[in-house]
Amino acid sequence: MNCFFRKLQASVTQQVFVLSQALTSCRVMPSIQHPVCCTTSVNKRLYRSRATHGIGRWKFLLPKEAPKKKRDKLQMKPIVMATNTTYGTLNVTVSGYDMTAVEHYSQYIHNLCNRLGVKVSESYALPTKTTEVMLVQDQGAKSYVEAVLKTHQRVIQLSSLDATLCPVFMEVLLQNQPEGVQLAVKEHTEADFHARFKSRPELDGLIAQINQ
Amino acid sequence: MAAPGRKKMSRSFVQLLCHFNRTAVSSEGCRHFSITSVSRATPQPKDVTWRVGSPWTLMAAVCLQRLPVISADCNPLEQRFKNLMQQVELEKSLLSDHELQLLEDAERMRRKQAADYDSDEEGGRDDQDIVLAQDLEDNWEQKLRSFQPAPRVRADVDKDLTSVERCLAEPLLLLTKQQVGDEKLWLLPQAPWQAGETLRQTAERALTTVTAAGFKATFLSNAPCGVYKYKLPNASRTESSVGTKVFFFKALLEDRSPAEAPSMPLVWVKRSELQQYLKPNYKMKVDRFFLSL
Repeated sequence: MNCFFRKLQASVTQQVFVLSQALTSCRVMPSIQHPVCCTTSVNKRLYRSRATHGIGRWKFLLPKEAPKKKRDKLQMKPIVMATNTTYGTLNVTVSGYDMTAVEHYSQYIHNLCNRLGVKVSESYALPTKTTEVMLVQDQGAKSYVEAVLKTHQRVIQLSSLDATLCPVFMEVLLQNQPEGVQLAVKEHTEADFHARFKSRPELDGLIAQINQ
Repeated sequence: MAAPGRKKMSRSFVQLLCHFNRTAVSSEGCRHFSITSVSRATPQPKDVTWRVGSPWTLMAAVCLQRLPVISADCNPLEQRFKNLMQQVELEKSLLSDHELQLLEDAERMRRKQAADYDSDEEGGRDDQDIVLAQDLEDNWEQKLRSFQPAPRVRADVDKDLTSVERCLAEPLLLLTKQQVGDEKLWLLPQAPWQAGETLRQTAERALTTVTAAGFKATFLSNAPCGVYKYKLPNASRTESSVGTKVFFFKALLEDRSPAEAPSMPLVWVKRSELQQYLKPNYKMKVDRFFLSL
């Protein structure tokens, strides 16, 4: 009799244990399947206490960046000096009346530099200059506008051109130069950089006043 | 800047200013090169003492190229694609100011011809009636018809091998017939190296031997672009001369005016014609640096 009761008790306790386990598993299951339905506090507590909490975080591993300021004034890149084996900062200027030819040729030069491993530090356009061709009328002294010609200019700035590569590079450029397009290779100076910007006479006047 | 080195030739291109122009086909509007180096160090001649024992005679030759003047013609596939792209761009483009003016004028004309035309409704635009856009266009058309462009390809000039103006779409190389040993051969103009000068100066001298005045040429670099080694046949080899080494220097022709009174027969050839003139071994070395893109 005793053993029977003990067995019963044991079985009952086992059953209770099993039941309680089932209950806990039931309690956990709804939180996995329907995280939205459960209350947030219950969810957070469950997430944060988990061993794998925050397993996907990676941004804290990156180095701290300075907060991004608004657009800076264009700073001049330092001019590289020429050494015994390489040229310094060179400006390859492509200019002409036909914009498609000028643009395509400058793109060709840029792609060629990329392929040959010549570092291109900057590639920009200078403002277009408009030339009005005026002819004097046959009968009168007044001249009238015959044509309007626009000169386009594109500049490609190379930072390190090897002296060994230079003759080959120049020859390829000259052989592929299209008609009506002029090519000029010069050294880059600060004056060239400042020529890109418009002068602001009021600002200069105010600065002069302050300095006086 | 660059100090002249003992082992290397000095860098005289440190401050370089080149200006290249490409204008019309006429001989006046040829490419202009101006290389002005602000602080140009004169190349110091190498020390000669250590070369005395060498059995090779040194020569420097100049590879004088006339660059193409006009762009090459498109092949049929390129032509078809070009036409297609032009048509697409035309169809996608918007009307220009002039074309809009034409349409407006046509519209006004049409309204004027209509029976119930009231000129007061037009609004003050007096000068529009005097010079119509159509008149301007007719004027321009007339001027275009009176303009005669130079022909791109002239068959008679192409056949003349001594003319600089032949085959404007391809680069040309200058060859001269020179006495080498016993025979006369077609070669790039060359000159023997003399003690106390750089090889580039020898090449420049070689150019002046072709004509008295010399061609106006721009040398691309201080270093040679190619070399050709010629060993004398065993019979004529001695202790002091095993053969010759010829170093080639590249130069680009600046001025397309015809050469006056060349001292030796000269010829301007395309890459495809080199085979008829040069010896096979020589041509193999020249092929390596003569770019024809």
